[in-house]
Amino acid sequence: MWYDTTEQARFAEVFTPHLVDAFRLAHWLAGSRADAEDIVQEASMRAFKGISGFAGGDSRAWVLTIVRNTSYSWLAKNRPSALVLAGDLDEQAQSRLDQPDPDPTPEARLIAQVEAETVRKAMAALPAPFREVLVLREIHELSYKAIADIAGLPIGTVMSRIARARRLMLASLGGIAA
Amino acid sequence: MTLSDQDELLLSAFIDGELSSIEAFQFENRLRAEPGLAAALEARRALRTALRADRADDIPSPQLQRRIAGLARKPSSTGSWQSMAASFILGLLLAGGIAWGVIEHGSRQDVTDQVVSAHIRGLMSSAPTDVLSSERHTIKPWFNGRINFAPVVADLSAEGYTLVGARIDVVDLSPVATLVYSRGKHIISVTEMPGAEAPASSTSRNREQGYLLFAWSDGRMRYWAVSDAAPEELERFVKLFQAASSTS
Repeated sequence: MWYDTTEQARFAEVFTPHLVDAFRLAHWLAGSRADAEDIVQEASMRAFKGISGFAGGDSRAWVLTIVRNTSYSWLAKNRPSALVLAGDLDEQAQSRLDQPDPDPTPEARLIAQVEAETVRKAMAALPAPFREVLVLREIHELSYKAIADIAGLPIGTVMSRIARARRLMLASLGGIAA
Repeated sequence: MTLSDQDELLLSAFIDGELSSIEAFQFENRLRAEPGLAAALEARRALRTALRADRADDIPSPQLQRRIAGLARKPSSTGSWQSMAASFILGLLLAGGIAWGVIEHGSRQDVTDQVVSAHIRGLMSSAPTDVLSSERHTIKPWFNGRINFAPVVADLSAEGYTLVGARIDVVDLSPVATLVYSRGKHIISVTEMPGAEAPASSTSRNREQGYLLFAWSDGRMRYWAVSDAAPEELERFVKLFQAASSTS
């Protein structure tokens, strides 16, 4: 197989700097390091093949978009049961939302004591549409506008999903910690 | 207490820095007046901290990093290029041993060019850094997993050079560390990569695409500082950076 060296250089320039961000997104979306490695490997191949289609601009957003899409197609193929995509909010999540916040001051203290593994489990239980926006916001520290571009959503939807994702996580972690 | 949907949205947008300054000002006033709202804000900040708790260790395995790097330099094409270059060099050597200076100069020129191009791209981009922070304690761990060496991150704020942030540039297909400093309206990029091309004592200076560039090495790492600042200004910065890096 022969590859154009300029395309290789372009791939190195566009993809390599965002490898850590790519891995973190896949890890949060898939829930396991091993799956994330497979997903990033596949995403890197897609990016490599599609590098000529990258029109310049925000390379990080381009890479994260590919990783997001690859995560979902990979999960649909390999872990179909783990992928909760359907609808806006499943019933379980809705019922958790309807409960009032417990007394919130101790809540902050309780959350601070929760272990990383518990946080990951609670995130894994979130429906994917909520999980992805919260990850892109809290882990990748992207703006609502950038998240809207990557996830292909209107900016208002990004805003409301992030707010609800936080509420769901606090309800879930508050319940665990209490 | 139960937050209204509207307050829930405001709260999230506020901690995400997505409110306009007027909205943020009004919201801050409400936070002072409403303890319930302030507590809800604290809970969300705690959630953010919890989500980021293991972020520094959440990096791809060295195997995956190698595989991706391998994709960036497939042996099938770079190999043939390298063997072509090798036979070219050999030919030149046989022809009279004049090649070294030219070849070496050529490759150095190329790296310099890439460093300056990265600086220019940074200036033109809407986000000149991948991580925005003036804290060296934030910047140093940010590089963890992104590059396989520990770059020098000098704090020169006392001397008037503000650390703005950092980014990863790619030089010769390898990721390298770049720090971005500002002074007044001038931006200075410092690019670092392992290697010891130049002798430890000398600092070379040249002008490339209209930008001034200083290059030096401390025997372990190579450094380039690029800026549109005045020559004496950049030279002062470089001396301060060298002094700070030799002690850190």
